[in-house]
Amino acid sequence: MSAISPAPSFATRWWNGTGVVRLRREGAVAPIGAFVVFFVVYVIINPALLTRFQLQTAANLVVPLALVALGQLIIVLVGGIDISIGAIMSLCNVVFAVQLETMPVPVAILLSMGVGLACGLFNGLLVAYGGLPAIAVTLASAFIFGSLAREVLDRPGGGVTKEIYLATSGELLPFVPVALVWLAVVAVLLWLLLQRTALGRHIYGVGSNMESVRAAGLNARLTKLLAFGLAGVITSFGAMMLAASTVTGDPRSGDPYLLSSIAAVALAGAAFTGGRGSIIGTILAACTLGLIGNLLFFAGVNSYWQYVISALIIVAVVGIPVVWKRIAFAARGARS
Amino acid sequence: MSDPTAPGPAPATTAAPLLAATDLVKSYGPVKAVQGVTFHCNPGEVLALVGENGAGKSTVAKMLAGAVTPTSGSITVAGEPLASGSVKQSRLSGVRCAFQELALVPDWTVAENLSLPDGAPLRGFSQKKSVAKAKQLLEALHLPQIDPRAAVDTLSLADRQLVEIARALAGDPKLLILDEASSALTPPGVAWLFARIRELTARGGSVIYVSHRLGEIAEIADRGTVLRDGKVAGEFVRGGWTDDELISMMAGREAERFFPSPPPRTTDAVALSVENLRAEGLHGIDLSLGAGEILGIGGLQGHGQAELLRALFGASPAQADSWTVGGRRIRRTTPVRAVANGLGYVPEDRKREGLALEMSVGENLLAPWYRAYQLGGRPRLSRERGWIDGILNALSVRTRGPNELAGSLSGGNQQKLVFGRWMNRDRTVILLHDPTRGIDVRAKQELYGAIVDLAKQGVGILWFSTEVEELVHVCHRVVVLYQGQVADELIDHRLTADNVVGAAVGATGSLAAQTAAAASGAPISSPPNSNVAQEGLVR
Repeated sequence: MSAISPAPSFATRWWNGTGVVRLRREGAVAPIGAFVVFFVVYVIINPALLTRFQLQTAANLVVPLALVALGQLIIVLVGGIDISIGAIMSLCNVVFAVQLETMPVPVAILLSMGVGLACGLFNGLLVAYGGLPAIAVTLASAFIFGSLAREVLDRPGGGVTKEIYLATSGELLPFVPVALVWLAVVAVLLWLLLQRTALGRHIYGVGSNMESVRAAGLNARLTKLLAFGLAGVITSFGAMMLAASTVTGDPRSGDPYLLSSIAAVALAGAAFTGGRGSIIGTILAACTLGLIGNLLFFAGVNSYWQYVISALIIVAVVGIPVVWKRIAFAARGARS
Repeated sequence: MSDPTAPGPAPATTAAPLLAATDLVKSYGPVKAVQGVTFHCNPGEVLALVGENGAGKSTVAKMLAGAVTPTSGSITVAGEPLASGSVKQSRLSGVRCAFQELALVPDWTVAENLSLPDGAPLRGFSQKKSVAKAKQLLEALHLPQIDPRAAVDTLSLADRQLVEIARALAGDPKLLILDEASSALTPPGVAWLFARIRELTARGGSVIYVSHRLGEIAEIADRGTVLRDGKVAGEFVRGGWTDDELISMMAGREAERFFPSPPPRTTDAVALSVENLRAEGLHGIDLSLGAGEILGIGGLQGHGQAELLRALFGASPAQADSWTVGGRRIRRTTPVRAVANGLGYVPEDRKREGLALEMSVGENLLAPWYRAYQLGGRPRLSRERGWIDGILNALSVRTRGPNELAGSLSGGNQQKLVFGRWMNRDRTVILLHDPTRGIDVRAKQELYGAIVDLAKQGVGILWFSTEVEELVHVCHRVVVLYQGQVADELIDHRLTADNVVGAAVGATGSLAAQTAAAASGAPISSPPNSNVAQEGLVR
């Protein structure tokens, strides 16, 4: 993102530019590096990724996860965690699919977003104004939203059409999957919100130290509430992308995304106590995790190993900076 | 000392007070923190608010700042009632507060902390503009050494406090509340603060100055209100009081400020010695601490004192040509090994490094002595009851007992816990990092007494303090650090406050250098390197 900006003045050393410093602080360097390595390995094992068809399939696989992970990231930034994110996704997914049977497309989209917003605000109200722990609130609401999803649509179905598939999951231009374009749009808007508005900085601040933010005269509770609402809306985007790319609504579709979204945020180097985490890191972490299954398929490894490999990547990427820091610290001590 | 640039107190009969607080009451459930406090502050006046820990000063300051809603009573600022219970409203009506417990967001940069509290949440935010604005502000306030792009948690405690004060000053407040805001500042930092206060009062602003440092109050305060047990115990005006009178008023009994003398040394045994100690921020330190000796470490914050204590305790990596503890040679150490070797350490930040605030008083005292296979919880507490009660009594810790949460004690009593855990535990050496910072006079004296008692028992005490008077009176010997090296060693007749301060600024015994440095704004606090070494323990 802004990492590109300091390039012209090399005198100030680009790796000390503000953008790069922020990426380092937010823990994004490791996941970016991991993605680059992973991508190179992937292309070596399976050069066919760079064909139009596979690129499109991979994008459709990765984008819903990336969006849900961004939703999870916002909750984590304010120092919470969202266990209900999979259920919110299922609910938005079936609402979108069912409404498409009767309603025009924009109405279905708005309804799905509205449901995501409502779910987020429900959690947010209990957490920010009720003072309850986020993990308990969202665990409870996960059951509620999950049941609601089955109430709306009890088996895969709905009215997703081919046109919608093409608009979300097709190709904009050759080699440019539409899904990635939508992801980029959401990511840039979210980045602008988090880095270039006061509200976004408040979200980081609330997670960093809520008491300080309140003592500075800011409305910390409202910030937390808005963060939960925002996360709900972004999750609904992920749900709609999923419904569109699979051309069905499914009341269980969100379930696997709960742990994956948390894993992606962890891989992105975000602090689960809040206040630190980057958008680019989260997206690339989601891409890495989302493509591991494919990679193993092409490498001819039993797909059950997918989870072990994911786990190893997370431990390695999160662990290497910690170990590196310790070594560098000891080395500095020995040198001086 | 007292500088007459500030306009004297306006005659109370004519001028309308800028701030009038009437019958303030604040109760937390059954506990009455403040019960009927009345005072006023005139324009251009510095009003000191003094009292022991738990007397209600901080609660009063928070009510003025809007962070706490009074249960009853009224506050008016310039005749207008203050919309209480909202920091934002207070800020808008020109009341700014710098809190003791820093109200800066650690993951925000200095610039963000300075600019974000103003303005609506949905407004755009530009890093560049806020950095430029912050830079301008910091330069206008003579703090050019603080980098506005640095995240606040990479700064030293003193620098954070300067930023917090700068933020309060930024809005050109009508009423500035400084709640122990100078507790981590070194003498030049305090001089900087006083210069800013005088600028503010010259423009007609008022300052409420909450501090435990009587010397600072004598210098800056025009009037003062003494609080005791949530009530006004008395008032004083500039020049009309002595330390002893004030302390008696705060304590509600005859008390006087005194520094105990260090006990005579009975042995020549060496408790701790290092030669050519090297670590981050330390460039070859030679040090030898005798058993039963109180060795003071002086110097400005950030010249290696924190690093020295941490290195000796093994909290950050260090190497030395020769290194002995209690006569045993060691090559390097870790905190676990250091405790096993007979060291004790009272860290800088009692809340973050010293205590588990959610655990009980007794468990916090026992923290270094728990082994994983031993009993814990209440059975352990009752078994150790004798030792715990002994410590609590010896230090006069005001607590409801060993089962009370450490977080509910006042700052001074928390500090006593961090200190008390090392008492009567066969320590060879105890390392103290400014243990009297921000605690009241009575608590300070109780700590002095305990330190001297430990020395009598033959424990070597290595004591870094930002308060020069303490070092001069209570220590056998003072070593002053400057830029990571020993600048001077002061003993006997050379052990004076002027010499300590002089050596601390790298000069040889001249106060002029210090004030000149403070005026030019240069070395009020040093570069943020002092915090780098902290990562080891925190992580």
